[in-house]
Amino acid sequence: MTLGSSSLAPATSGYTLIICEKPDAARRIAEALSGGSAQGSTVDGVTVFRFTSQEEDVVVCSAQGHVYAISDPFEDRAVYPVFDVEWYPSNLVEERNNSAARRIGVIRKLADGAAKFVNACDFDVEGETIGFNVLRYACGGKEMEALRAEFSTLTRNDVVAAFEQAKPQAGQGLARAGRARHLVDFVWGINFSRALSQSVLNLGQRHGTISMGRVQGPTLAFLVGREIEIREFVPLPFWKVSGTFERDGTHFTAGYSKERVKPKTTAEKVRDDCVGKEGVATSVVRSLVQVPPPPPFSTGDLQREGYRSLGFSPSRTLQIAERLYLKALISYPRTGSQLLPPSINYRAILEGLQRLDRYSKAARNLLGGALSPAKGTKLDPAHPAIHPTGEVPRGHLNPPETAVFDLIVRRFFAAFGPPARRELVTVRLSVGGHEFVLSGGMTLYQGWIDSYGRYASVKDMGMPNVAEGDRFRVVRLDVEEKFEQGPSRYNQSSLLEKMERENIGTKTTRSEIISTLVKRGYVEGSSMRVTDLGLAVIETMEKYAPAIVTTKLTREIEERLEEVEDEAWRDAELVRETVRSVANQLVGLNANEDEVGREIDAGLIAADTASRVLGSCPACKSGQLRMIRSKKTKKRFVGCSNYSRGCRASAPLPQRGIIRTTSKVCSHCSWPIVYVMGGRTPWRLCVNPKCSAKDERIKT
Amino acid sequence: MKCMLCDRETVSELCAYHEGAKRKVETGYRLWAEAYGGMKWKDYLDKVKRNEQTGRWAKEIAEMLEGL
Repeated sequence: MTLGSSSLAPATSGYTLIICEKPDAARRIAEALSGGSAQGSTVDGVTVFRFTSQEEDVVVCSAQGHVYAISDPFEDRAVYPVFDVEWYPSNLVEERNNSAARRIGVIRKLADGAAKFVNACDFDVEGETIGFNVLRYACGGKEMEALRAEFSTLTRNDVVAAFEQAKPQAGQGLARAGRARHLVDFVWGINFSRALSQSVLNLGQRHGTISMGRVQGPTLAFLVGREIEIREFVPLPFWKVSGTFERDGTHFTAGYSKERVKPKTTAEKVRDDCVGKEGVATSVVRSLVQVPPPPPFSTGDLQREGYRSLGFSPSRTLQIAERLYLKALISYPRTGSQLLPPSINYRAILEGLQRLDRYSKAARNLLGGALSPAKGTKLDPAHPAIHPTGEVPRGHLNPPETAVFDLIVRRFFAAFGPPARRELVTVRLSVGGHEFVLSGGMTLYQGWIDSYGRYASVKDMGMPNVAEGDRFRVVRLDVEEKFEQGPSRYNQSSLLEKMERENIGTKTTRSEIISTLVKRGYVEGSSMRVTDLGLAVIETMEKYAPAIVTTKLTREIEERLEEVEDEAWRDAELVRETVRSVANQLVGLNANEDEVGREIDAGLIAADTASRVLGSCPACKSGQLRMIRSKKTKKRFVGCSNYSRGCRASAPLPQRGIIRTTSKVCSHCSWPIVYVMGGRTPWRLCVNPKCSAKDERIKT
Repeated sequence: MKCMLCDRETVSELCAYHEGAKRKVETGYRLWAEAYGGMKWKDYLDKVKRNEQTGRWAKEIAEMLEGL
């Protein structure tokens, strides 16, 4: 194995220093390039690998994600506006990142003796930024002369091939875009977050981190828009008419041709017209449809499917997928691609998976035919769609890792599967001058559904065996009062999809932004319910700095960042434009600082109060049960808001763990149910100490 | 001044959110009355208040109007 193309001058003295993004990747790369002979040693607590390959001495070291971060030179966190920013070692910026200093120190020492440098960080914007910064700041300005090794999996073959084909400056566009993105986001976030936080602090009021990032603002605005629709919603009534019909002892249920009937009198008339009549099948339409296999996973697809089928949040799915990548079990999971190029060697991957008992049958079946995977419309020039590498797990995989790995393998299989074939039947029944519709569907040929297993969401509905002209007895007719459903809340998966559609954020940052919204207390629960604080923040921004929470500005910057990558736009110009936009919008916030502070503080108070309200008081029926902390004993307990009016409903609470409200009540005593989060698993608790269900449990 | 139903600052009796909800509740009455073939205002408010699908602000408005 020779590092780099043969046209490049080989190092005459000194060794080749390979910079990786993470320690696990460094170990994998060292093993792959040395054929397993690399020796790991610890320098100042950092593991470094050394080996000789074709008379070339090689040293492999790693960063640990970003070891450089953007910050401002001011120690006073209240200062804003801030436009004079620079890259600093992360340990000077983030209090808890002490290891960055050690890693930078080790890389500096290693760089002194190196004659050649290779950037082997993940091949995407973030990886390119990490590698660029390490080469520039820790290696003494080697970012332009370093070689770039590009790979999508950490398997031996891919890593060796990537280093043989390493090119100089391959990812400079990505690095430029990555650095510009960090700068723009920092300038944006630091100024608006400080402006909002400071406005609350200036009132001498409670302190909270009020953050407002470039993508965070518009994302929260989507949620707030939907929250307002939900809170204002008044459902309208309608009626559903359905009939039960019988023929030769078989019963069918068919719905009235109009799904929503109103007014009520019309629904009742349909019923009255049909009672005691006979139904006739006026048409039976059978159709055969092909259900094509799903495309292989892009990052967003995997996160959505992980949420739907495994119940994992998008950020959790991505974290697990990254661990699987570092174990060389799957390809790089941050990709926008829905395409599997033949160069990944389908056959070799399937042969590898065949060695695992649970996949051997499915892999063998696919290997018996031609291999042509389904593809989606999204492409990513840097990486293929997420796929298994064909490597067999060497160590233990924990249950979440096993679950995500299984999902990725099954999706890979499904992409190669033939289309499924389904028969759909629609029967129209005429009864008393009205039409009823009976539908059914049946899978005739499983195709890819077999390979996708439990993750496939195609369901059979049963097939009515009916022919035109068949007559039916009307057994029963039902008129059911229904109400329109309110707008549905976003969940983490649908919000991710919305962000993708609006083209804000990146495949890497979207799930992190959603997690931040929860962490900041702007939204809560799996249904992403907006809190009063989240509402107040958007309300205030819309009033005093409206452009910040619109998609337009964020999307424009996103598009220009892509142009920076292609060199069409110079990064300096984009940064200058951002500074202008931020400065303009800060004017509105500054001029109304007191108002801004008061409005957000009101949101903080309302959110705090809401988090203490457990539900209605079942004793007095008009008060609210709240979580209260005793001034005397400092212990928390439940008390009624009508205490001063004589209601003495109260209950003790567990003193350890976090208590979250659920808006659910106990089915036995109507007291509120809370979640207690402490210990290994959260548990549900009816706060009523005298609940009859507790007695039952004790007796049992 | 403060909104009658929440602590938001407002220039009239209700904040913009509760005003919006009030408009929805008032518009809804005509549609409910048509759907049921006639309905008393108080009965409507009671049903809206108790309906699981009704939004929080709309419920608060229905309760307020019921008490007037």
